[in-house]
Amino acid sequence: MEIPDKNAPLPETLTSAGKDETLKAFREMLRIRRFEETAARAYTRGKISGFLHLYIGQEAIAVGVKLAMQANDRVVGTYRDHGYALAQGSDANACMAELFGKATGLVGGVGGSMHYFDRPNGLWGGYAIIGNHVPVAAGHAFASKYLGDDAVTMCFLGDGAVGIGPTHEGMTLAGLWDLPVIYIVENNRYSMGTPLERTLPTEDITARAAGYGMARDRFELTDPFQVRERIGAAMKRAREESQPTLIEILTYRFRGHSMSDPAKYRAKGELEAFRSRDAIELSRRVLMEQHGMSEDELDAIDDEVIEEMDAAYTFADESPQPDPEHRFKNIMIPVPEEA
Amino acid sequence: MANLQIREAIRDAMREEMERDERVFLMGEEVGHYQGAYKCSQGLLEQFGAKRVVDTPITETGFSGVGIGAAMVGLRPIIEFMTFNFSAVAFDQILNNASKIHHMTGGQFSVPIVFRGPNAAAHMLGSTHSQAFDGIYAHIPGLKVVSVATPYDAKGLLKSAIRDPNPVIFFESELMYAVRGEVPEEEYLIPIGEADIKRPGEQVTLITWGQSVPTSLEAAKLAEADGLDVEVIDLRTLRPLDEAAVIHSVKKTNRAVIAYHGWPYGGVGAELVDRIQRMAFDWLDAPVERVCYDDIPFSYAENLEHLSIPQPEDIYAACRKVAYR
Amino acid sequence: MAIVVELPRLSDTMEEGVVANWRIALGDKVKRGQVIAEIETDKATMEFESFDSGYVLLLVAEEGETLPLGAPIAVLGKKGEDPQEALAAFGGGSGGGEAAAPAPAPEAAADAAASAAADAQAVAESAPAAAPSAPASVEAVHVDPKDRRIPASPVARRLAREHDLELAAITGTGPHGRVVKADVEKAIAEGTGKAAAAPAAGEFSGEVDGWGRPYVSRPDDSVRLSMMRKAIARNMTKAKQETPHYYLTMDVDMEKAFAFRADFNEAVPEGTKISFNDLIVKAVARSLRDFPSVNASFDGDKAIIRGDVNVGIAVAVEDGLVVPVVRYADQKSLEAISRESKALGKSARDKHLRPEDMSGGTFTVSNLGMFGIESFAAVINPGEAGILAVGAIESRPVVQGGELVIRKRMKMTISADHRVTDGAVAAKWLTKVRGYLENPLKMLTDGPG
Repeated sequence: MEIPDKNAPLPETLTSAGKDETLKAFREMLRIRRFEETAARAYTRGKISGFLHLYIGQEAIAVGVKLAMQANDRVVGTYRDHGYALAQGSDANACMAELFGKATGLVGGVGGSMHYFDRPNGLWGGYAIIGNHVPVAAGHAFASKYLGDDAVTMCFLGDGAVGIGPTHEGMTLAGLWDLPVIYIVENNRYSMGTPLERTLPTEDITARAAGYGMARDRFELTDPFQVRERIGAAMKRAREESQPTLIEILTYRFRGHSMSDPAKYRAKGELEAFRSRDAIELSRRVLMEQHGMSEDELDAIDDEVIEEMDAAYTFADESPQPDPEHRFKNIMIPVPEEA
Repeated sequence: MANLQIREAIRDAMREEMERDERVFLMGEEVGHYQGAYKCSQGLLEQFGAKRVVDTPITETGFSGVGIGAAMVGLRPIIEFMTFNFSAVAFDQILNNASKIHHMTGGQFSVPIVFRGPNAAAHMLGSTHSQAFDGIYAHIPGLKVVSVATPYDAKGLLKSAIRDPNPVIFFESELMYAVRGEVPEEEYLIPIGEADIKRPGEQVTLITWGQSVPTSLEAAKLAEADGLDVEVIDLRTLRPLDEAAVIHSVKKTNRAVIAYHGWPYGGVGAELVDRIQRMAFDWLDAPVERVCYDDIPFSYAENLEHLSIPQPEDIYAACRKVAYR
Repeated sequence: MAIVVELPRLSDTMEEGVVANWRIALGDKVKRGQVIAEIETDKATMEFESFDSGYVLLLVAEEGETLPLGAPIAVLGKKGEDPQEALAAFGGGSGGGEAAAPAPAPEAAADAAASAAADAQAVAESAPAAAPSAPASVEAVHVDPKDRRIPASPVARRLAREHDLELAAITGTGPHGRVVKADVEKAIAEGTGKAAAAPAAGEFSGEVDGWGRPYVSRPDDSVRLSMMRKAIARNMTKAKQETPHYYLTMDVDMEKAFAFRADFNEAVPEGTKISFNDLIVKAVARSLRDFPSVNASFDGDKAIIRGDVNVGIAVAVEDGLVVPVVRYADQKSLEAISRESKALGKSARDKHLRPEDMSGGTFTVSNLGMFGIESFAAVINPGEAGILAVGAIESRPVVQGGELVIRKRMKMTISADHRVTDGAVAAKWLTKVRGYLENPLKMLTDGPG
């Protein structure tokens, strides 16, 4: 893979954004990162169990997509879903409590890290079986087209999901039926721990788009405004022409695949190089160099965010476990009386 | 009363529900242009158009997932499997999405969807096309599972399934699509979860469903000639199970035989045996007998296949056995 | 290591117990909280829920065997584990030494072979054989033919139970002689099925009679003692071992008592009629008030003279004997004694006696007259100074005024505790009793007679 140049100039999409929106995006990305760091600490303390997949390094995508979205659009995510939730506006307390398996969690403690759902905030999953949400997202788009509700469905998947059958079938149907859906492959360069050269037949994942009759786009992640711009074009296509798009965003995750992954498969110097192009760091630089903010001001924002996440930790820790009877809830919906 | 084939009863159920509710649509292989692999959707494309009668490529996991995704938004999909054997490639969609989403999302989403199609062995299709999925789907919490054997039941239950707010697996039978029966002209619904006594009797309870219903009725006739009075209960719904109907009958007759298409290991038959022994132990006069497939993959050869499928004589023999005849 | 199940203490007064019924069999999987046995305590038969989980490796206690609290009754553990090891570790598990590897190797091998045969049917059928078999070290268990498991369908069992029929007395027509519903219905219709099991089969004894016909030797049959039987055994042994009995017999003329009872019963309404025993109890009670040393109890270095006169009446019941007590019998009217003793007798036979109905007695009357017994000597109830054994009232020739006449006579024998009474005192007391019985009207006066 190509290692980024530490001394490359700042991305234009970032430098041309206004101060307020840059500050807001900076804060949102920071929220995701600090949330996950807090979660990682909770995991080491045994407060969280099971799988915990971190999004650290990829925050700009979730934040950028949100910038491009309209109110009724949907995000369908993978099991690496904390970032989408927070970017979509889910409550950090509820998100943290879900990780702790508490009654106050986003889905009442039944889902955990991999199964976030927050319908009022446009988060439609939370899918932990690789690729099986690809046709489901096509189904949401099918319904949008059927009902004419003008909503666009954005479906995220990892580079590891492109080989599995449901991905292929879902994209086939999205292309066949011209569904208003955008598939966003977040290529973080590792399927789990195996480099992509060993798992992908072609380097360019979007090459497949031709076979599905879809438009395509592929770019190296720089910042949220870049994502807004590129996704925005696909959204217009979906909303106005009911056409799907396959997008590949090249990114990098700074952490292992999950908490139990030491990430020993990385080459030397690779992590450092990517860290230097971290969108949060770049935004920080722009805010200081271009918008005249001081280090103290930005640190104060960071402190606020840390405080918010510490509060979320305490909230989650002190929340009650679900009621024992809760395990029988939401399995069958009673059949309504016929009119 | 109209005299209809099961395929016509199914078609009428779908047509009436599509007329009644704009959100209902039919999706599957060959359902539109070809009018249905078994002609269950004859005329629907003409009536409702391509938007609501959707032909798909061979992508079971794809269109099952699309159905689920559409249901989550608020549509009422009917997904037709050309046969349930092909549902195996969509199994993950049913197991991990359809059955779990309402629970996994803390009740934020529901999946009102029907997966329907022919199930179990037909005639000389070999092992991959001769499987009964009753036990596999009835095993999964979050699903309802229906199996029909008459045009009347097929129509009434399919209409209920389409209106049900939960995912419903709806089993039909390839060899029974042409079975005829009386179906009322006026609208009716049969609630999911209610068994039907297809033949009342006093001495042996014969529990059955799907393709084994006519076979069991024949077996009951053989027994009648022998002076053995058999009660035939058609479960109609495999999940939730009409436990009360079964136990009530077993307490009366003290004997039970279960006849069905399906493998013996685990499954609905085994589930019934468990409930009977637990809930009617002190009423049993004989061990519960099961008549079902051999515990093997099916063979193509006609004689071998015939031996593996419950025949009236097999079921009759089991009735005699539990009655100590 | 495997877990040894101990005989549990299921009541606060329980010292020993009996596994009345096992609800588990060798090889069964037991879950914590599952009822594994019915345990007969001194109070009741109770269900015993296991505290542990595991497979039943060994049933140590036989059904019906009396064991002390804490005795090992079973061993639970993992499949294939050696129960003897746990038993030995438990503390002198009997036969621990001879527990040489019972490993059922041939079966395991057969299992493997069956699996290898890849014949689904064969594998399925061989599965039950995987259950552990009884270790060879345990001695062959004598199974009482009456206790053998009778194959019967559940509904047949229930019907038999409801109609109070013995499954053993019903011929089973099902497979392997299984008693099925039709068999029980037939027994109900024919009124059969009530008889006990067929007598134990005899064997040729080796001896023949004068015509060469063999005598039959029949095996002993051990009958498990009921808790009541055990209590009787314990108490009577204690009485005979600790109490120095002596016996005095006196003949009583019952002519007047006879006439008195007839007059009395004619005068009172139905339901308050008295028996001879009521007269005797009344006479005994009045006499005890007059002779306190007979109404006493020996207590090491002192005699306790009992303040109340509470007369116990021995009542034969199905499986033994109980002694309900008429309290303050010296102060009670004949009618009251009669009414009370009738009620107590009924409760005794219905097994409804409460412990307090049987406690506090100071003297006992035992009457075997109804069986035609002329006289007998009874065993003193521990804690009391005497017991009066009453025989039948019979017309006997006696010499009266130098003439041989036929009179209604009755013999009564006191067994007395020599530690608190002497022969002369008891003799006077007996005379007193006789005085009341021979002049019953004396008993109706309030003051001491």
